[in-house]
Amino acid sequence: MEEGYTYTALPTSHLLGSVPAVIDGDIKGGSSSEAFHAASPANLQVFPPTNGAYQAPGSPADGNAQTATDWKGFFSISSYSPYFNVDTDVVVDRLVSSVYPMDNFYRKIDGNPDLYGPVWISTTLVFMLAALGNFATYTIQKRSDPSMSWNFDVGFVNWAALVIYGYVIVVPAALFFLLQYFGINSSLIRLWCIWGYSLFIFIPASLLLVVPVEIFRWLITILAGCASSWFIFLNLKVHTEGSSMTPLYVSAMVLQFALALFIKIFFFA
Amino acid sequence: MSHGDTIPLHPSSQSDIDEIESLINAAPSATVLPARPPSPPRASIPVSSSPAPPPFLPAKPATAGAPPLPPPSLGVNVASAAAAVPPGGRLQGGIGADGFGSAPNTLTEPVWDTVKRDLSRIVSNLKLVVFPNPFREDPGKALRDWDLWGPFFFIIFLGLTLSWSASVKKSEVFAVAFAVLAAGAIILTVNVLLLGGHIIFFQSLSLLGYCLFPLDIGALICMLKNNVIIKIVVVTITLAWSSWAAYPFMSAAVNPRRKALALYPVFLMYVSVGFLIIAID
Repeated sequence: MEEGYTYTALPTSHLLGSVPAVIDGDIKGGSSSEAFHAASPANLQVFPPTNGAYQAPGSPADGNAQTATDWKGFFSISSYSPYFNVDTDVVVDRLVSSVYPMDNFYRKIDGNPDLYGPVWISTTLVFMLAALGNFATYTIQKRSDPSMSWNFDVGFVNWAALVIYGYVIVVPAALFFLLQYFGINSSLIRLWCIWGYSLFIFIPASLLLVVPVEIFRWLITILAGCASSWFIFLNLKVHTEGSSMTPLYVSAMVLQFALALFIKIFFFA
Repeated sequence: MSHGDTIPLHPSSQSDIDEIESLINAAPSATVLPARPPSPPRASIPVSSSPAPPPFLPAKPATAGAPPLPPPSLGVNVASAAAAVPPGGRLQGGIGADGFGSAPNTLTEPVWDTVKRDLSRIVSNLKLVVFPNPFREDPGKALRDWDLWGPFFFIIFLGLTLSWSASVKKSEVFAVAFAVLAAGAIILTVNVLLLGGHIIFFQSLSLLGYCLFPLDIGALICMLKNNVIIKIVVVTITLAWSSWAAYPFMSAAVNPRRKALALYPVFLMYVSVGFLIIAID
């Protein structure tokens, strides 16, 4: 038994699949980097996450164990679990506040941005667009041509996945890099969170878009597009507090509205 | 780990501990069934026993025609060598649930034996997962003997059935179905792990694959009967059955406050597959 064993109360809820280990007082040369977990919570600002690296408590800050970003943390599941640290009621609360009222949302996610919402909202939207898009195309063509028979176009699934996932991943990333270029401090996770939850309003909208009345469809599209763009605008403004980047806000809003139009035109023609 | 176990036991660990204790205290003659059949030994070159015996041992005519044994160690006496012959010493080498004697050589067994063993494992896993039985509530016991053949067959079968039912773009339908199911199973498992749940990765993949069995039946019926109303009814019933099969396992794996977060994606996947079954004509 060596002296100098230090226990820290490990928050074990995010140690997954690995046995929570005692943090040893002295440095053992780089062994089992995934089981050791520093006492400080994961740094949610940094992506890719770095808490896969071994950090010995009591050694000077940033010892030689961690040079640049530790890419070993990129591939281990436990390093992503801080982004999924939400309960059911928290997620429901965030979903509701993404639709009404829209101004509280950023305060709710600031301390604990989650990726659960964006991932599953976009996945749900992909399947709904594919399914309802087919159904809506069928109903509106049936009105003009009663002999039309049901035909399921499985390409809708591919297109929906490409468009939705591409939009949610690429646009916040591009914005993040743009903001970094302009010297504004910003966090990629929060941007992904904002964009992910902004898609939630399209789910009930796509349900309503099935109704085969063209005017009604356009109305719903415009309403959903405006609501979503407004949501993006509000949250982006709070996120980049202190600096006014109006062209950026406007372009983000325009992109969101363009997405709404694309959904209507491609899937619910 | 020797500093005292301050980590509370997982609920399923207690059942394992009880099982081990009851086995220790059981009568010595109680048959101990391993959780899974002992894995066959690595392939070894079959050595026939007659030319091998060490010089001071008399030749053993009793074992001359016996199944090939791994080379006996020098100095072993006749009694123990004779006892090492697998019970019922069939010429071709039985499956051998004992595992303590000379291990069976599965490299030389007939293919039918291997296939039969895998098939019986699939059937027993299926009965555990999909049909009501007393083990369902305890995720530690359910599907302890997991395998991936069953899920593989069910996913392929579902993809093929959907592909046959489709009138256009058959190969794209198969690709979409297979991708959704396979990637979906992996993503669902990763989702539970990320939410802080405790499951074993492959056990969960195996379980999600076995829960597809009702949807397979539904897809088969829908392929044979092309009426929309019947399809909707059949798919709804089999969807409910699949969800019921997957529910105890998934809900026990995570914190109760996050149960809905873990179950919703499962539901989403089965609903989309169900819609695919209804919609493909």
